[in-house]
Amino acid sequence: MHSPPSFAQKLLEWLIKDELAEEVLGDLDEKYYYSLKNKSATRAKLNYWHQVFNYLRPFALKNYRSNSKSTTMYKHNLKIAYRHLLKNRGYSFINIFSLTVGIAACMAIYLFIMDETSFDSMHSKKDHIYRLDEIQNFTGTKEQKVALSMPGMGPNMLSDFPEVINYTRFHQRGKRLLSNDEISHTVEKTFNVDSTFLKIFDFPLVSGDRETALNEPNTVLLTEETALKFFDNLEEAQGSSIKMGDNLLKITGILEDVPETSHMQFNVLFSMTTVTSENPDFNDQWGSNFLNTYLLLEDNVNADALEAKLDDFLVRHMGENSEDREVLDYYQLFLQPLAEVHLNSSDIEHDYNNYRKFNGQYIDTFAMVGIFILIIASINFMNLSTARASQRWKEVGVRKAVGAQKIQLFNQFILESILLALLALVLAFAINILAIPWLNDAINRKLTMWFFIDQPQYLAIIFSITLGVGLLTGLYPSLYLTAFKAINILKGNKQSGNKSVFRSALVVLQFGLALAMIVSTLIVLNQLNYMKNKDVGFDKDQIVLIGMNGEVNEKFELIKSELLDLTSIAGVTASGQRLGNNFHQWGFKVKTDTGVFQMTPSNVFVEYDYLDVYNIKVKEGRSFSKEYSTDEGMAYIINEKLVKELGLKDPIGTPAGHGWYPDDSLGSIIGVTEDFNFNSLHHKVNTLSMVVHSDWGFDEMSVKIKGDDPQAAIAQIENVWDRHIKDWPFDYMFLDEHFATLYQSDNQMSAVVSIMTVLAILIACMGLFGLSSIMVMQKIKEVGIRKVLGANAFQITFLLSRNFLLLVVLAFIIASPITYYLLNDWLQNFAFHVDINFVIFIVGALISLAIALVTIGYHTIKASYRNPVEALRYE
Amino acid sequence: MIETKLGDFEEVILLLVGILGTEAYAFKIAEEFETQTERSVSIGAVHSTLTRLGDKGFLESKMGDASAERGGRRKRIYEITASGKRALENSRDFKVSLWNQFPAFANKLNFNI
Repeated sequence: MHSPPSFAQKLLEWLIKDELAEEVLGDLDEKYYYSLKNKSATRAKLNYWHQVFNYLRPFALKNYRSNSKSTTMYKHNLKIAYRHLLKNRGYSFINIFSLTVGIAACMAIYLFIMDETSFDSMHSKKDHIYRLDEIQNFTGTKEQKVALSMPGMGPNMLSDFPEVINYTRFHQRGKRLLSNDEISHTVEKTFNVDSTFLKIFDFPLVSGDRETALNEPNTVLLTEETALKFFDNLEEAQGSSIKMGDNLLKITGILEDVPETSHMQFNVLFSMTTVTSENPDFNDQWGSNFLNTYLLLEDNVNADALEAKLDDFLVRHMGENSEDREVLDYYQLFLQPLAEVHLNSSDIEHDYNNYRKFNGQYIDTFAMVGIFILIIASINFMNLSTARASQRWKEVGVRKAVGAQKIQLFNQFILESILLALLALVLAFAINILAIPWLNDAINRKLTMWFFIDQPQYLAIIFSITLGVGLLTGLYPSLYLTAFKAINILKGNKQSGNKSVFRSALVVLQFGLALAMIVSTLIVLNQLNYMKNKDVGFDKDQIVLIGMNGEVNEKFELIKSELLDLTSIAGVTASGQRLGNNFHQWGFKVKTDTGVFQMTPSNVFVEYDYLDVYNIKVKEGRSFSKEYSTDEGMAYIINEKLVKELGLKDPIGTPAGHGWYPDDSLGSIIGVTEDFNFNSLHHKVNTLSMVVHSDWGFDEMSVKIKGDDPQAAIAQIENVWDRHIKDWPFDYMFLDEHFATLYQSDNQMSAVVSIMTVLAILIACMGLFGLSSIMVMQKIKEVGIRKVLGANAFQITFLLSRNFLLLVVLAFIIASPITYYLLNDWLQNFAFHVDINFVIFIVGALISLAIALVTIGYHTIKASYRNPVEALRYE
Repeated sequence: MIETKLGDFEEVILLLVGILGTEAYAFKIAEEFETQTERSVSIGAVHSTLTRLGDKGFLESKMGDASAERGGRRKRIYEITASGKRALENSRDFKVSLWNQFPAFANKLNFNI
């Protein structure tokens, strides 16, 4: 038999008077069983609840004070708060506006941080997934961390270490031409992965079996978006085949499109078994690094402990015997937790599959900036509230006289400040709904305020922070106001309300933070400007890069000569790799009088005109030329850095070759270039060797255009392209766009810091504006008397400004060394950076001083020109 | 000052107490109200009115028997006091007098009292 809802009974028992409990509960029970006779148990229970709620009446409730209206005082306080807001519109505006801007800025920063830290968090095994990275240390090149590993590493780790549960390799296959009957498209971001890929990562499948999808050779997974390019719907795609070259691949699954917050971004996954079934040795291939390996470890494995065993692992598989530990001079392995791949890879090179890689240190910077802004805004509130205390003395005095207790006054003022903070929160929300899309454009993100709606727990956090700010900022003014002695106020004795050390300290803090942000912005902009304009040693403007395949390579000479006939084309060349990243590194040897000497510089193979088109300066010797038959593969142009590393006195003519060339059949060094920054400016210039290898197949064509209509030039190139190339699409990019992506993290940081600095200055100024007006008002009689006694306007202005200027100077003295230290730290991220000039600090100080002067100037100058009679008349 | 006038709902409840006699407790009164008027009412509302009528001196109450379907709890039985009866009579007389002054109905209605 059903019984009445016990929670409802408990609730009722708890709420109603004890003497009524028995009869009421009895009646309700009877009612419940009566209802059960002709209604469902649910209806009866609902009715029980209905009855319980109907007992919440004054006669039945415990602790019901029938003739007291407990809300009266709150209503009164609210009304007073509202009237104060309206009475002092100016100050209210400053208070609410600065807090609104502060909270809005913090919310935006919070969204940004949440977005960055949410990377790769969709995988359920994320805490046990590691990426296998290497530290390479080759002679003639600096030690570097790289994200690449060798094909043999994954399989052998699985068999050598019981703590490794699984591995998957992720091998970039670039842009591929796929076709289905008549439809063919080139698809970017294609990868070979092991069959374990979907067992380690949780990328969801729309259809297909994730256990077996990639087991067979010649199977492929497409993302939804890719599949719909070839098929009308996903059902049709599943199980169909798609052609790549001569291979027919079976589509064994459709993946959901990869989320924005994944460091791996792919459109097509080919099964690695396609490779290993034809070439089983692939699983035991050592020496060259060209793919990413991810490992899944046991739950309780200490990654450091496993890392410690990896030296022996390398020796076991790559050394001649167990004594041969030479391999460790070149390679070391380390495990990078999945959570760190996105935010902690800025020092890792050859990191090609790391979408939107971001420098995690900037996250801390952003958090700090957010807190600064909130502090600056809160200080406004505290300062203005205490400074305006003089206007509320009488209110406090009268309240105390009629019996208000300290705690009641305290509650009143705290309530006021919390209300203002909440109002600011609501306004901040509204502002952000408008501002976030604009911010997204500036920093290329997809942030949205829906985040807070979708995940109310974060809304709760923001709400509590706002409450906390309201409480903390209200604390000091409330204590300050309630501490007045009623008798003194009512007697008319003025409190010494305008000489607050605490308030001055807050102004110093506020301006110190603003100053630090101004100087930081100047230096960050300076550094970015430097990177943009630094002479990197080659021309990067007006260069169009076009991807090449085998067909384009075959017809390269033809296309080149036709392009050069066009008036809009200044030069055409091609290369194996693109400028702006580190080039692949492999062995390079020279023969000198003392013997053969081997090194591992960066290498790039190029076409004959490469140096001319890019305007790379040859310091000694000559550039590549078709007139010398040996220039194909046997002639090297190296950079000054490599000359120095090799210790060559007279490099031209020195026998040299790739590491695998026999010592007796080397080519020679034909030229030396100046050190140019082929890698990004975060890195020093590495040693470099360039060589012509037309037969290796270039990766990209570089076309230098001239004239001021790049679009027309591109249309002409495409025209030539379409006439000759059948199977490969014309896909181009400007080199300077590519360079822009290299400094994306830095540019975005500077954009955010600049915006925040402007806001910080704005808020600080509004505070100062309010404060100066209060101060001027309090000194109005002093000013009047001084003017009567003959002071001129300048003297008065100086008198009124002096204190504020002192505070700004003090802020400068305190903030400068800290800012210097922090900025110096940041600049160490760049191998090429500007020096911090003290002039920038002076400029920063002058800017803040000027801003402060202008801000308070409105009030001080107005005061100094006032007719003293107005101030003194009613004495 | 204690209000001694009877409201409409109060009057009905008071009458129901009289009708139900020894069975006059909150749940039964609410049930009877629902059957007689075909309007729904919560026990709380009835109880509240009973308490108010008690405060006005129209009702007396004492604890009655317990039963199993009340979970062994006793019920409070209400009984009309003399002043309660008087209030009901006054109310009725007042209305009859009003009816009698209504020309359309005057003397055409037969109130069997």
